[in-house]
Amino acid sequence: MTDAPSFTFPDDARGELDKALGDLMSRAQDVLATQGRLRALLRANQAVIEHIDLPVVLQRIVEAAVELVGAQYGALGVISPDGGLEQFIHVGMPDELATEIGHLPEGHGLLGALIEDPHAIRIPELSDDPRSVGFPAHHPPMHSFLGVPIRVRDEVYGNLYLSNQSSGEFSDEDESLVIALAATAGIAIENARLFAETHRRQAWAAASAEITAALLSSDEVDVVSTLATRVLTLSDADVVWVLQATDDDDYMRVETARGIDEELIQGTRVAVTGSLSASVLEGRQPRLVDDSAEYNLVLSGGRALGPVMAVPLVSLGRATGVLLVGRLRQAPRFRRSDLEMAADFAGQASVAMELAEARTTRERVALLEDRGRIARDLHDHVIQQLFAAGMELQTVAGATSPQIAERISKTVADIDGSISHIRTVVFALSRPAAERNTTVRHAIIDLANEVAPRLARTPNVSFSGPVDLIITGSLADDVIAVVREALMNVVKHAAAQNTSVELAITDDEIQLRITDDGHGSEGSSRRSGVANLEHRAAQRGGSFDFRSDETGTQVIWSVPIGDPA
Amino acid sequence: MIRVFLVDDHELVRRGIAALLTAEPDIEVVGEAATAAQARGRILATRPDVAILDVRLPDGSGIDVCRDVRSQNPDVKCLILTGYDDDEAIYAAVLAGAAGYVIKDVQGSGLIDSLRKVAAGTKLIHPSMSGRVVQRITDTHQADPRLESLSTRERDILPLIAEGLTNREIGERLGLAEKTVKNYISGLLSKLGLQRRTQAAVLHLENRSGPLTL
Repeated sequence: MTDAPSFTFPDDARGELDKALGDLMSRAQDVLATQGRLRALLRANQAVIEHIDLPVVLQRIVEAAVELVGAQYGALGVISPDGGLEQFIHVGMPDELATEIGHLPEGHGLLGALIEDPHAIRIPELSDDPRSVGFPAHHPPMHSFLGVPIRVRDEVYGNLYLSNQSSGEFSDEDESLVIALAATAGIAIENARLFAETHRRQAWAAASAEITAALLSSDEVDVVSTLATRVLTLSDADVVWVLQATDDDDYMRVETARGIDEELIQGTRVAVTGSLSASVLEGRQPRLVDDSAEYNLVLSGGRALGPVMAVPLVSLGRATGVLLVGRLRQAPRFRRSDLEMAADFAGQASVAMELAEARTTRERVALLEDRGRIARDLHDHVIQQLFAAGMELQTVAGATSPQIAERISKTVADIDGSISHIRTVVFALSRPAAERNTTVRHAIIDLANEVAPRLARTPNVSFSGPVDLIITGSLADDVIAVVREALMNVVKHAAAQNTSVELAITDDEIQLRITDDGHGSEGSSRRSGVANLEHRAAQRGGSFDFRSDETGTQVIWSVPIGDPA
Repeated sequence: MIRVFLVDDHELVRRGIAALLTAEPDIEVVGEAATAAQARGRILATRPDVAILDVRLPDGSGIDVCRDVRSQNPDVKCLILTGYDDDEAIYAAVLAGAAGYVIKDVQGSGLIDSLRKVAAGTKLIHPSMSGRVVQRITDTHQADPRLESLSTRERDILPLIAEGLTNREIGERLGLAEKTVKNYISGLLSKLGLQRRTQAAVLHLENRSGPLTL
């Protein structure tokens, strides 16, 4: 043994110290590691919240999660209202591989378990878990798994799926971190949604303002078509149709079509029975249909509409049309806010239609007023002056030589002819078009105008006697038929320059005279055309006279005045 | 001698007719008026055999003048003269209680002929025609619920008008004061008179119905 002082440390104590030091260092390392992970979480949070566009936000969430826990694959499944997965954003899987696998996960197996019970799931080996349903062909192997739900407000928005942790399996800490990230993700998604909604409402308000301005402007812009175009973009739709009721109760007409096949669809008639439009018109309530398959709204190329919104157009208390907004089958469904917007535009469309109709009515009133004024002028001035002048001439005629008197008399006859024409014009101008055909005179004037384009000149029409008072009912039908046939004969055979129709009531009979200066009757065809006229006269105890030569043709059809029809 | 009174707001027309009438040895023009107000007083003062009245006057209608005059003096016969067509004229004449009507047509109207017949007491409008007019008015107005339909009194009065009775005679038949009858008839005329075309237009516009047509 040497006396050299030996400085020894008791083994026990040293062991303790080493252990303590070791512990300390390990704790310090732990703290550092934890700090590092917390920093990573902060970074991840920041990455998630610094974006505002929803698709980008979703992508960032997955990327951040994958990085945070060192997973090989990551994905975010957005849950659709009917339970499955609406969107699936994935990271780590090469695109070509994803294409090879084909369809995206639909939310069965483990993914489904997470949808049904939104709590974190952590599994070391997927294939050992009874809930796993296996993978489709070409799918890369996955082992460790971590699934965490993302809540937006109190609703489960979707799930974060992570797999193949780099060190084998996911730890408690990994789970805590991803849950923390999911909370941030929820807020980021909510923000992005609110932002998108605000953005949409802004665009909607702008479009509304634009349409209101168009409505108020006096220019004849097609407001409904502008509106349909705006709705198409704003609601991200594939088609927008404005359907209107027609005279036929069984059909509606697509007055305005925008979007796919717009040229093909615009103007087509649609059967009302059993249609979506009919249900909306009847209920007077907008409808949101997620799958319109039962209504069979098919477009060209085998495409069909899926989600559809239908809003009734109510004008003056009557539902007269439908605004139909649709997306192709498989496209995302419309939301309540989309329907709100469509209803708002439908309201504007109704106003536009009412305005357009009011405008048409105003024009019609102006036209009627104008016609009335012209008729009054003709009556109050032109007829009076012609009549007065004729009277004077007549008086003068009495005081002159017979030759001059004869010439004056001819002139007066011309004046009378003019007065008679003006009188017919005054009559034709005085009644609105819709009321025509209710009297014999209007019917005959209309007939003359109808054949006019096929003749050299419009036939001269004149009446004498209370024609409308006497000729009514079936007698009126006969007279109109005779005029029509006689005029058609002139059109077909006579090649006339001048045609005239004179209808006169005398004391006891009605006489209709149709003359033309054409080349007369040629053979039997024209003769047979008048046989019917002869028959009509005979049935009423009247007479029929047909004279034709190369200078012209004259048809005289007369029947006795019977008792009031 | 047939004594004639002329009512027309166009001086040229009055002059022309006067010239034509005075050329006849048995016709004498005893007075003229351009307005309804002038006409009422002057006709009653001159007591002509026949008054020739234009329907449209600046201050009223020849129909009213005719009814007023004939209520005061049923011996005065009226002949309605109009620039409108026969259908319009016959309504006017029936409502006025006139003996007949003549449309403004220089050669074809047979003014002098008609004048002589009326002066001799002939009614130019056959009762069956007046009947048709009344029938038509009633039908038209029943078919148009929107157009104020005629009141019961107005319906009672219409056929009597068609018989050619004066306001006084109608009053006696229905037990009403002449003034009351006059008021009913004014209301009736404003509903049916020569305004009916305008009313038809208004009615037509108000009745626009059916689906929109955009």
